[in-house]
Amino acid sequence: MISKKDFNKINDYLWEIPKTYRKDMKVPARIYVSEKMFDQIFKDRSLNQLINTAGIPGIVNFAMAMPDIHEGYGFPIGGVAATKLPEGVISPGGIGYDQNCGVRLLLSTYKEKEIRPYLEKLATEIQSQVPSGLGMGRTEKLSFDQINKILNGGIPYLVEKGYGEIRDIENCEERGRMEQADAFCVSDRAKNRGRDQVGTLGSGNHFLEIQKVEEILDQYTAQAFGLFRDQVVVMIHTGSRGLGHQNCTDYLGTIAKASFSYKIRVPDRELACVPFNSKEGQRFFKALCAACNFAWANRHMITYYTRQAWKLILGQKAELELLYDVAHNIAKIETHSLDGEKLKLLVHRKGATRAFPPGHSEIPKIFENLGQPVLIPGSMGTASYVLVGTEKSKEAWFSTCHGAGRSMSRNEAMRRESGGEVVQKLESKGIVVKCASLNGIAEESPIAYKNVDDVVDVVHNAGLSKKVARLVPLAVIKGE
Amino acid sequence: MQNLDLKCKILKHPSDLKLKGFGKSKEELFKNLMVGMQIALRPKIKVKKAETKIRIESEDIIFLLFDFLNEVNYLNEVNHEIYQKIYFVKFSDTLIEAELFGKKVSRFGLQIKGVTLHDLDVHQRKDGTWEATVLFDL
Repeated sequence: MISKKDFNKINDYLWEIPKTYRKDMKVPARIYVSEKMFDQIFKDRSLNQLINTAGIPGIVNFAMAMPDIHEGYGFPIGGVAATKLPEGVISPGGIGYDQNCGVRLLLSTYKEKEIRPYLEKLATEIQSQVPSGLGMGRTEKLSFDQINKILNGGIPYLVEKGYGEIRDIENCEERGRMEQADAFCVSDRAKNRGRDQVGTLGSGNHFLEIQKVEEILDQYTAQAFGLFRDQVVVMIHTGSRGLGHQNCTDYLGTIAKASFSYKIRVPDRELACVPFNSKEGQRFFKALCAACNFAWANRHMITYYTRQAWKLILGQKAELELLYDVAHNIAKIETHSLDGEKLKLLVHRKGATRAFPPGHSEIPKIFENLGQPVLIPGSMGTASYVLVGTEKSKEAWFSTCHGAGRSMSRNEAMRRESGGEVVQKLESKGIVVKCASLNGIAEESPIAYKNVDDVVDVVHNAGLSKKVARLVPLAVIKGE
Repeated sequence: MQNLDLKCKILKHPSDLKLKGFGKSKEELFKNLMVGMQIALRPKIKVKKAETKIRIESEDIIFLLFDFLNEVNYLNEVNHEIYQKIYFVKFSDTLIEAELFGKKVSRFGLQIKGVTLHDLDVHQRKDGTWEATVLFDL
């Protein structure tokens, strides 16, 4: 059983499990964590999963974990690993079932006191425009042809069709479309699960929140991002819905079966992987990119419907501008420098967010001198953060945390608090709660998660990204 | 630990759904896991009946269980149905042909993203009965 004595302390926020800890490790495993949070990382099997990740073929430098690490399948949630291309592997378990789960933030021009009288109406209208909840889809099902266009075209396709504006493309990771996408590689079953889900929130920890900027922590960057104290903003947290879940399921099976023919042995079947340049690896990557485009399209259409609700309640001049949209379950081809050498890598981020520094060519021009906006959603009803990418996070392939990270089982959370009690607590803080049913609310209680402030403190102090603003909810819209 | 009629148990897990199923035969084990999974979805059941046919071919018993439960999960989501009964037309370690019977559903209280391969295990116990553990990603 691993214990603290098996770690080497690199600094106050970074600890390392050496390669010698287990025979099959190809690189050391590193975890960003504070003394305060250290005990929490032994509560589940996530460290074992990180050590397993350190053994995948072609892994470069380190297997890394962010402070919101918790147990997943294959990689831990909060895991980052890069494999060297073209022969390094790709693993569905290094991305997760919700491919391109991510977050976006919309900025209004209003302050809290201006919105407060309309808050209930706004939340009700958004809830009616954006279907949320288990199996809740839109009333109209898209045709397979329309789904294929979304899978290949992502946000630019929707903007071309009249939904949204150019800035929605500019201010999105990958400009809302991964060009390697090929809808042909996505199964009909996956497409079928997604036909009524473009513009839907889903369930679990996904949410739409009307928030206010409670605290500005970096005045210069906040101003440049368009953030100000007491400003009302909208955060959207969701992903590729049933289409992405099915896509992961389809390829997990295919890749687990194919891995034997490449003589790849892994300690957990869920870590199944194949060489990136194999036919199965290529096909999966194209399908993954397509599912990512679907997820961006989903968040984009939720934005479209939210804007409609916003204008209906506040008037036609009421705008919501996209600050940025980031993925936190994804694998992407990126070029990074290591010891003076430029490497083409496949960076898996599973519950981790890309955080490019100032001057990086892949962030929008308007953020060129600032760094990429990084969006960290908290657990339901707690704080969320806007951070900014830094040069220091080069050591983590320019990655940072993704949220609070679960620390308690769903059953235990339900045993401790009922859905009604959770809602009551939120309402007592003045937070408007709109949920389709109380069934799942208890499972998502803030008590079931790590403290997001502690998580963000670690990445800030480790220099992986810097705090810009702290946001708190005014209204929470959830599926369950 | 929640007991689902002693045929299937919900085991403790930090974030997802872990089921342990039992059966006198492999067919009964598969049926019990399917029924356990349907109960765990917390469906709001309608009166209208539902039935469908499935055919699954896989490499071995492990992948057969993985593919079978994923098929049922897919049908749950796209058809808005749950299945309380199954009649196996053919059953081997690599093939299932079956008819599923159940009800239409107005909504589910839990969503399963997919069946995982993590620690997926099917084995025969000393007393000749069968047992399997399955983790579902929520």
